[in-house]
Amino acid sequence: MSSFTDVNALTERLSTRRVRARNESAWLLPNDGTRFDKALIENMRRHRDADEVDLVIVGCGAGGSTLAQRMARAGWSVVVLEAGPFWDPDAHWVSDEAGSHHLYWTEPRVISGSDPVPLGSNNSGRGVGGSMVHFAGYAPRLHPSDFHTRTVDGVGQDWPIEYADLRPYYERIERELPVAGQHWPWGDPHGYPHAPHPVGGNGEVFLRGAAALGIEARVGPVAITNGRFGNRPHCIYRGFCLQGCKVNAKASPLITHVPDALAHGAEIRSDAMVSAIETDREGRYVTGVRYFLRGREHFQAARMVAVAGYSLETPRLLLNSANKHHPDGLCNEHDLVGRYLMVQGAPQTAGRFAEEVRMYKAPPPEVSCEEFYETDPAKPYRRGFSVQNVSPLPITWAEHVSAQGHWGENLRTYMSDYVHWSTLGALCEFLPLPQNRVTLADQRDRYGLPVVDMSYSMCDNDRALMKAAQARMEEILHAAGAAEVMTIQRFAHLVGGARMGRTAQEGVVDASLRTFSIPNLLITDGSVFPTQGSVNPALTIMALVDRAARLLADGARAGMRSPDPTQHEEYST
Amino acid sequence: MSRASGRELRAAERERVPGGGENERFPGFDVIEQAHTWDATTSGVVLERLGLQPDLRFFGPAEEAAAGALFDHLLAQWEEPRVPVVQMVDARLAEGQTDGWRYEDMPEDGEAWRRSLAALDVDARAAAGEDGVCFANLSREEQADIIRTVQSLESKPWHGMPAGHVWSLWTRYACTAFYSHPWAWNEIGFGGPAYPRGYMRRGVGQREPWEVADTHPEEDPL
Ligand SMILES: Cc1cc2nc3c(=O)[nH]c(=O)nc-3n(C[C@H](O)[C@H](O)[C@H](O)COP(=O)(O)OP(=O)(O)OC[C@H]3O[C@@H](n4cnc5c(N)ncnc54)[C@H](O)[C@@H]3O)c2cc1C
Ligand code: SF4
Repeated sequence: MSSFTDVNALTERLSTRRVRARNESAWLLPNDGTRFDKALIENMRRHRDADEVDLVIVGCGAGGSTLAQRMARAGWSVVVLEAGPFWDPDAHWVSDEAGSHHLYWTEPRVISGSDPVPLGSNNSGRGVGGSMVHFAGYAPRLHPSDFHTRTVDGVGQDWPIEYADLRPYYERIERELPVAGQHWPWGDPHGYPHAPHPVGGNGEVFLRGAAALGIEARVGPVAITNGRFGNRPHCIYRGFCLQGCKVNAKASPLITHVPDALAHGAEIRSDAMVSAIETDREGRYVTGVRYFLRGREHFQAARMVAVAGYSLETPRLLLNSANKHHPDGLCNEHDLVGRYLMVQGAPQTAGRFAEEVRMYKAPPPEVSCEEFYETDPAKPYRRGFSVQNVSPLPITWAEHVSAQGHWGENLRTYMSDYVHWSTLGALCEFLPLPQNRVTLADQRDRYGLPVVDMSYSMCDNDRALMKAAQARMEEILHAAGAAEVMTIQRFAHLVGGARMGRTAQEGVVDASLRTFSIPNLLITDGSVFPTQGSVNPALTIMALVDRAARLLADGARAGMRSPDPTQHEEYST
Repeated sequence: MSRASGRELRAAERERVPGGGENERFPGFDVIEQAHTWDATTSGVVLERLGLQPDLRFFGPAEEAAAGALFDHLLAQWEEPRVPVVQMVDARLAEGQTDGWRYEDMPEDGEAWRRSLAALDVDARAAAGEDGVCFANLSREEQADIIRTVQSLESKPWHGMPAGHVWSLWTRYACTAFYSHPWAWNEIGFGGPAYPRGYMRRGVGQREPWEVADTHPEEDPL
């Protein structure tokens, strides 16, 4: 027994050493109770606009930060332009819902279609770390079946890669975040580097209900440290993961990839809003990007540009970069930019228990079930859904209650019952449809740039999945002893809009995330997903970008033509 | 913040701040008593809600009157001390602090508020059959009738806007303001901010020593 644990401990130590050798972020954080080492920012390498850097990255979120860290390590000169602030968790984040409003992208956006999707807090973030600053923390992998749903299930789209191509990158990122959870029996079965967290009342209810029905449910997988990791402390179960983790326990690129990127010479220029990508006179290569910083427009020259602005801002930037050679926007020869956008149907079902559950005490991500993930031939719909714990705090809970039509005295009474409710959320695999898309609205933001119009309409398969998932969650809660249940229809996550494909007719980028249209332009965020499965997307975004970074560093740079900056039409210094 | 100065602040706050009324389900529970365990940044943000709110900058007097009456209904706040929802919503609108999206068939939030509050006055005049009347002048029951009508219209238009989208705007702003206030947390038994202390007692039926048990656990509102 003791030699067994010794071997385990040794393997763990070795693998931690390997993580540190490729990404030292967790060890570059302070160890004195503060959460970010400001010296890393003060000593950051700084480039001039006229320096033609190897790579400019637009957006410092899940995809952008991963790419920055990997390429800086590979010796590339990297500048990341990030529209939002450089967060200081101590000074900028609070343990409070309403006080966290500044974490979200709240520039104007228009929503339309037959099922318009509310954005803001529910969808996208800003600032260094991107949307993962306020993501819940679930970090599941896609299943092998996700990569060929067109061929096997007759819906969706096949990916230009297979699961096996991503597996090693999943493993690397899971160790860098790191992810905690029980052994995972679904998809490609695998274990996790950190042990599962103890569950709170909400997770307990889910496990109890699932056990009563003979449904498999597991604790995890969450990107939250269970034990020390470098200088990152253990989770303190305060429940404010969606407001940014002030503890440094929950992963976000701000603490998992940015410190190492800075230490290896990447520059992260915050409060820099990119307005357009520029091309050479013939429109063959990109030459750099225009951006606003402190009210002035700049141009940063670069040999290569990667766009990682999120599934809404990435298509918007490509469309806003139209020029005479690309009149419909960059990379849009086949009318694919902004299309095949996907949200997941995320019905949220709560159950009422006579006991006190107090679901706010624990990280909102606790337990998941992927048993209903793949197509069941006996069902009238294709593909499936997963079920996870969610635990709304008071304001979000009020949204749940008021969506039932309650207001006034009724609302107050229901709300006063908060401690008795436990909540589950499903993620339904909505299908990629061409009419679900980003276009430019007539309205402009404060920079004078046209804003996003996001149109969404569900198909019958989407609706059938929402219903099936709701029924399943109600069943689990009733089996756990809930006297009453109530559901609201929601959407979660957002991917696609510049999808990967085997050919230029099928996708905007190839399997290495290079655009088909312009050889030195990449797209490295969630926009590239051809389908989405029923998992939360952040881990897959990072794994895909890690893979693309490996290919880039392994020589794709060789033979890259450096565009002549004097050829640039608007170039002036 | 050091523990001692937190305690002093707590004592000072307790004297200055009204408690938000009787707490029926969680007697004696007061989340503000835990303020000394919160980090300074969070305390600053939360305790500010108990202080004097900024003067109105967005709503004109007529809008202020209509908004006040509307929020009283949406949140059943009939007496002082009230959570200052009118001021909190006014501050958000004055600062353009929107949720970051609007429905295609709705104007920007600020404009949508102005139009929907004016529309309440129009409906009030129609209901009373008199020119000088406004929504805030009506009796509580007459006001409730108008609000119920808006809610029941669902996707049908109401003064040029889809009623359901107006309803979503009203309830979103009202609930966000009200349930960000510590008095509302007391009423629902919510433990509030928890950094750097965290929660120690998790699981069904567990409570921290300072949390108060629900005195009506069987009172299922459904
Ligand atoms: C409430 C919530 C909960 C979530 N929970 C989970 C979860 O549990 N698990 C999970 O896997 N995922 C979750 N997600 C989703 C996940 O956070 C995102 O899918 C992921 O972060 C997207 O990565 P990205 O690289 O595409 O974009 P982001 O991480 O959003 O990064 C984009 C960055 O680009 C910047 N940017 C955009 N445009 C410009 C421009 N023009 N110039 C400069 N900068 C620009 C933005 O400010 C932003 O920082 C959640 C999201 C939300 C909102
Ligand atoms: S529950 Fe844990 S991971 Fe979530 S915010 Fe709190 S300390 Fe961070």
